[in-house]
Amino acid sequence: MHQWESHLPSQEPKGHLFRLTNLQFRYADGPQALSGIDLEIAADDRIALVGQNGSGKTTLIKQLCGLLLPDAGNVSFKGQDLRNGHLERSRLEIGILFQDPDDQLFGHTVIDDVAFGPSNQGLASEDARQVAQQALQRVHLADKAYQAPHRLSFGQKKRAALAGLLATNPAVLLLDEPTTNIDPRQEQVFLDLLAAFKGTLVCVSHDLLFLYELCRRAVVMENGSIAHDYAMNDLVAQRSELRSHGLDFSFRLMPIDNGEKNGGPAETRLAEAQRESASAPPMLELRGYHFRYPDGTRALTGIDLSVPVGERIAMVGENGAGKTTLLACLLGLLEGNGTYLFEGRPVTRRIRRDLWRNIGMVFQDSADQLFCPSVGEEVSFGLKQLGVSKNEIRERTQEALSLVHLKGFEQRVPLHMSGGERKRLALACVLAMSPRLLILDEPSAGLDPQGEEQLLSILGELDVTLLMVSHDMFFVDALTRRTVVMHRGSIIQDLPTDAFFKDSRLSNLNGLAYSFRQRCGKAIRELQHQHEHSHHHRHLHAHPHEHDDVVHDHLHKHDHAHRHRFLHSHPGEEQEHRHASRQYHDHPHAGEHGVHDHNHNAPKGDHKHSGEHGPHDHDHTGHDKTPHDRSHK
Amino acid sequence: MGDVNVIQMPLWQLFAMVVAPFGLLAVVVTLLRRRIRRRSAEKGDPDWSVPQLEGAAGHSLIHRWDVRCKIVTIIVYSFMITAIRQMTPALVAIGLSCLVLIVARVSMTKVLMRILAIAGFITMFLLVMPFTVPLHKGDTVIVFGGLNWLQFSMRGFNLAATIAAKAVAITLLMEPLLATAPLPVTLQGLSRLGVPDMAGQMVLLSYRYINVFRHEARRMATGMQVRGFRKRTGVATVQALANFLGMLFVRSFERTERVFDAMRARGYRGLFPEQTLKRQRPADLVGAGLWLTVGVALLVFDRMIV
Repeated sequence: MHQWESHLPSQEPKGHLFRLTNLQFRYADGPQALSGIDLEIAADDRIALVGQNGSGKTTLIKQLCGLLLPDAGNVSFKGQDLRNGHLERSRLEIGILFQDPDDQLFGHTVIDDVAFGPSNQGLASEDARQVAQQALQRVHLADKAYQAPHRLSFGQKKRAALAGLLATNPAVLLLDEPTTNIDPRQEQVFLDLLAAFKGTLVCVSHDLLFLYELCRRAVVMENGSIAHDYAMNDLVAQRSELRSHGLDFSFRLMPIDNGEKNGGPAETRLAEAQRESASAPPMLELRGYHFRYPDGTRALTGIDLSVPVGERIAMVGENGAGKTTLLACLLGLLEGNGTYLFEGRPVTRRIRRDLWRNIGMVFQDSADQLFCPSVGEEVSFGLKQLGVSKNEIRERTQEALSLVHLKGFEQRVPLHMSGGERKRLALACVLAMSPRLLILDEPSAGLDPQGEEQLLSILGELDVTLLMVSHDMFFVDALTRRTVVMHRGSIIQDLPTDAFFKDSRLSNLNGLAYSFRQRCGKAIRELQHQHEHSHHHRHLHAHPHEHDDVVHDHLHKHDHAHRHRFLHSHPGEEQEHRHASRQYHDHPHAGEHGVHDHNHNAPKGDHKHSGEHGPHDHDHTGHDKTPHDRSHK
Repeated sequence: MGDVNVIQMPLWQLFAMVVAPFGLLAVVVTLLRRRIRRRSAEKGDPDWSVPQLEGAAGHSLIHRWDVRCKIVTIIVYSFMITAIRQMTPALVAIGLSCLVLIVARVSMTKVLMRILAIAGFITMFLLVMPFTVPLHKGDTVIVFGGLNWLQFSMRGFNLAATIAAKAVAITLLMEPLLATAPLPVTLQGLSRLGVPDMAGQMVLLSYRYINVFRHEARRMATGMQVRGFRKRTGVATVQALANFLGMLFVRSFERTERVFDAMRARGYRGLFPEQTLKRQRPADLVGAGLWLTVGVALLVFDRMIV
């Protein structure tokens, strides 16, 4: 019987597994994608490869597995250049997980696909299948072994693709956005599998919360170069560094301010709109709505949903819960059975045909709704369908583009824009049509933290009724005040967002458990908090002094020039807490001061230490906040 | 129309003989399609942890038959069927195909779906040929309500029905040919028979990605629809469709590159891993010989009928 380790091609040499030296790469007719990359990766490294969209992360991991060859410089793996025969052999040891699992699952059935790698490693067909079966068990897909890949859900495809790599027992795993678009339960499966993986891990992701526990080292890329190479803790602790690289996700860790929550300024306007239309019928209403696909699959059952004017609603649920089908029904793309009212009127065939004039939707994958050769044409496409005048088209296009911070992009080609820009463009296309209801399907998927923050701020300002489908609990919390929970085609709960977050039973039922995110978030916030308070400070403490022949102790104050971290507890998410004095306090030092002399005639109480203090922690709880200013005895 | 036998019939019989049967056929086809969908939905999700061929009646004679023999035999036999000229042997061929279905124990629902898929093609033949076939000496034609320009040729109808019967006989064999072994095994069999490997790989990948491209196209079409796009007659529609097709092509092209990358990354060097083909036994060759003998007998029978 085939053993997991038996087909590992060769033993690992000591030292560095990968060594990249002055790597340069340019795509044909494209900009310089990588320049001057010097990187060493050890056999047990777990690296988070981070950076903004378009910074060269995917290109770099393609270099690591030899899918792209450098224009200049070299990539060595196990001490040899990754070319020719060595490249062919090494590919069987280096697994790369692509962002879109459909790119990777080319087999006729799932097991055919998973067995592809082991077969290429030289295993006989039956042995390869046995290994594939074991790998599928590890990703909890043994029951889908003989299913055609296109029949799997997105999350299942992603796991099947990972199984295809695990089956080859790789020494290195290169992952490109492993958790994009999957629900938190599947994300947890990924996390567990990757945590258990013993080899070298290089993970490209914008999701630093996911990477935090998984990786020990963080390589930051910027414009095709390596900007920094940190320990993970150091990267996440330094907000200023994160921000300078467009990676600051700390906004996700902050408690949402009451004034900002649910859209901030827009919220006030919407509340007013709601008061005004209190007696008016809801914008949308579904009663006892059902939908069944032509192949007989029952997708929606007994849906009751009301969307009042000005409401901001989140729709959550596991992959396959029926959210997308429900959106398609609301948009009039699918027609189910039951009552569907739009502004109090039953949705007839004629009204359904015109629903697009009132309801706009931003798709999960922006590529699905961008097809024009230029940004200007893209935004004006919908306006032309509305039949507005040329002047108005020009004005509204400009307005929409400036709203999403894409002014001046009119002539750009959407296909060549970054993920964040494309998402904002898709939003502009919809906003230009002034929809009364805006539907967002996974708005934060695939965006880098800067893109997310930008999108969040744009969405927060919008004066529109909002229905958002998302697995991203931060976006749900920040943008909505009501949450509809879907499960297996039904709405099982419709409750205020705050109540939803307090109900752990509901979130677990829907595969929305995100405890590890909370845990990571807390740890990172603690790190950042410690870091934010680093400062030079004054001490008041006693230690031996030597004045000529006299050695004595006495209290004195002096300036330290060492970094200093606060450790203090946060009493609660919403409660304020105070930090102790940043200037005068005492604390035990890691290294004792040696006996030293100092000038007692120095200006009052100020002495410079010649001794070094190592970084150290101390507890401020109970410190007197009044500055100590005792005179020197 | 000197040498043609003309049968005059009232006009309403045109509806009774032509419109009504085809209307009935359309209704039956629609109902069957619905029923098939409902039945497949009611069955629920099968157990995908076992190969479906083994999980559901995968041990018939046809399943066990060597895939190369099966391919050669059924294809050659199908050509023999196409050579049939008379209605009776064509009906016998349908009977023989039904016998193979019973032996192969394949899914009747799928067989029915295949027949429904060619229903439109057959209907077109049955509708058009009786009215368009050139008249020969001794032909019998039916003229409805004195409309001499609208002649229903019985020979044309017979010809169309024979073609339809042959098409059905061959279609019935497609399920035993394609569904009694996994597609990769069938393609491997083709490869062993001399079909280039690349052709087999292309079929396999096309089969896999046709659904992905279809979903992509559908999502893009939806994206246009929710922004108000409706197909109209005009330059704007042509322009939008050209953009749509262009973008679909670009996305498909990019995907093929990514798929190829993924294959290379997992050790692909121009060949898919070989499937295990069962060793050819003498019994496989005997089976092929017997089946082809039946085909030859059918042809002889066809030629003997005057």
